[in-house]
Formats: sequence, structure tokens, C-alpha cells
Amino acid sequence: MSGEEEENAAELKIGDEFLKAKCLMNCEVALILEHKYDQLQQMSDDPRNQVSQVFEKSLQYVKRFSRYKNPDAVKQVREILSRYQLTEFELCVLGNLCPETVEEAIAMVPSIKAKGRVHDDDAIDKMLNDLALIKKFE
Amino acid sequence: MFFHIVLERNMQLHPRHFGRNLRENLVAKLMKDVEGTCSGQHGFVVAITGIENIGKGLIRDGTGFVTFPVKYQCVVFRPFKGEILEAVVTMVNKMGFFAEAGPVQIFVSNHLIPDDMEFQSGDMPYYTTSDGSVKIQKDSEVRLKIIGTRVDATEIFCIGTIKDDFLGVINDPATA
Repeated sequence: MSGEEEENAAELKIGDEFLKAKCLMNCEVALILEHKYDQLQQMSDDPRNQVSQVFEKSLQYVKRFSRYKNPDAVKQVREILSRYQLTEFELCVLGNLCPETVEEAIAMVPSIKAKGRVHDDDAIDKMLNDLALIKKFE
Repeated sequence: MFFHIVLERNMQLHPRHFGRNLRENLVAKLMKDVEGTCSGQHGFVVAITGIENIGKGLIRDGTGFVTFPVKYQCVVFRPFKGEILEAVVTMVNKMGFFAEAGPVQIFVSNHLIPDDMEFQSGDMPYYTTSDGSVKIQKDSEVRLKIIGTRVDATEIFCIGTIKDDFLGVINDPATA
């Protein structure tokens, strides 16, 4: 694949298709998969037979690494982060990893400090504070 | 990273499935066919969440099978080079360690583990710093960066590093 060499998430080079696609945070995926799992459970006694290994591994993973459990908090996280002119991908990396300091946030998502972007350290700091608040009051 | 995307697939359906349940049969077959599969371009298809559109069926010459173009929404997991994510350690050996992030396997070679961490063999092999404050063993949670992906027909395999700022163990099962 020729596109493979170019790929670099740190510079947001993830292909047009994925850049425009809707990204999901782990906590959002957990809500979706749990809902689907419940539906399957109603249809048959043993949903474990119904789902693929990929489904099961993903469900375990997102349950383990969801920062926010409460559906309202999940919604709030997306709402707050979407005020900061982030791309979908950046938004979800921040929502998943919940960095605590500005340096950490920049290390996780180098593209927020890339040329032409409006974020200064204060804006990033405020964003992280907002995130921490949701976690606190969840 | 998980994405919610729309994919399209041509589904072939046997005439015995026609009738009032055609749509249900088509969707059931679609789920059976694509959930759990993996492609290099779109990654792992985790779950189908909805059907956007089912096009007009086309009868195949000679067989009676009908092909329907189906557009469906699904959750996919696609790892990217340069992406930072959290993963669970599944195996540790002197070459490095393996970790899992959802459906994808990630290998971190001992060259990409910080130099101050040493391998310790035993029943439960682990990597540790000389003062023993940090320990990577099976079931540890680590934050790592993907530096390479290899795609084959049915699987994506990643190479990761924890030798960078803000990467490494986030939760040690022994102390948790």
C-alpha cells in the first residue's frame, strides 16, 4: 500500500476517509457495545456464542479503559471538547487519555500545537481543567 | 482508535431467503459475514449499528442468486502509526512484551523499553527499574505509541514504543 508510508497520527495524517469520519471515545464505544450485547442477550440465553472474538475483546478493552462511565458525563465530555476547534481524532485521543498537564496533552496530541492552530497553553490548560471537573462531579 | 463509519458491501442472497423476511435475512447474513473481520484499509469491524440503505437487487445470470448493494454503519477499530493509546500487557519475555488494545496485538521490543528497565525471568517474567518502583508484567496497563503497523489479509499487527515522554506503565496489577 502506497498510503501506508505517509500515515502518521501525530500529524493527523490518517487518510481522508478517517479524518472526516466520526471518531468514538472508548467510553462511547462501551455504551454502544453494551447496548448491543444487551439486545443479543434478550434474543438468546448465551450471547457469548453470538458475538465475534473481535467484539468481545473490544468490549472488554473499552470497559477497562473508559474514563467516564455515566452516559451524561460522556455526552458532556464531547460537548466541552468540541468547543475547542479540535478535529474528531484529537478530541477522542484527549477524551481517552485525559492528560493532566499541558505538556502531557501536547505530547499525546502533537498536532494541537502545529502551525496555524489557535491553541496557546492557556487555552489547553482551561480545556484540561474543564475535563477534570466532569470527572470530579461524575 | 474506534470510528463510526459507513461501509458498502454487495451481498449475494439465495432465492430461498426471499419473501417477507428478505430484509431481516439480508441483515443477519451481513452481520455474520462482516462482524469480526479485518481489512487493512478499514481495520477491524467490531459491530454493525445500523443499515443506511439497501439498493435494488440484481439477478445473477444462470444462478438465481441476487446481489444487493448494502450500505451499513459500523464501529471499526483502526490503529494508526503515531497514535498513542492504552493497552493491557499479555505476555512478557526477554525480547520485549506483547500488549492488547481491543482486537489488536502490539509488540514492544526491549529496544523500545527505557534503558533503565531490566528483564527479570521467572514464573512471572517482568521488566523493572533498578529501584523496583516500576514493573511491567502480565496484566499491567501501559500507555504506548504505535510506531509501525503490518497489515495482512485478516489481521493488523502493530509495533509500539514506551520510550518517550508520558509513556509507560499506568497501572500495576501488583499494587492496585
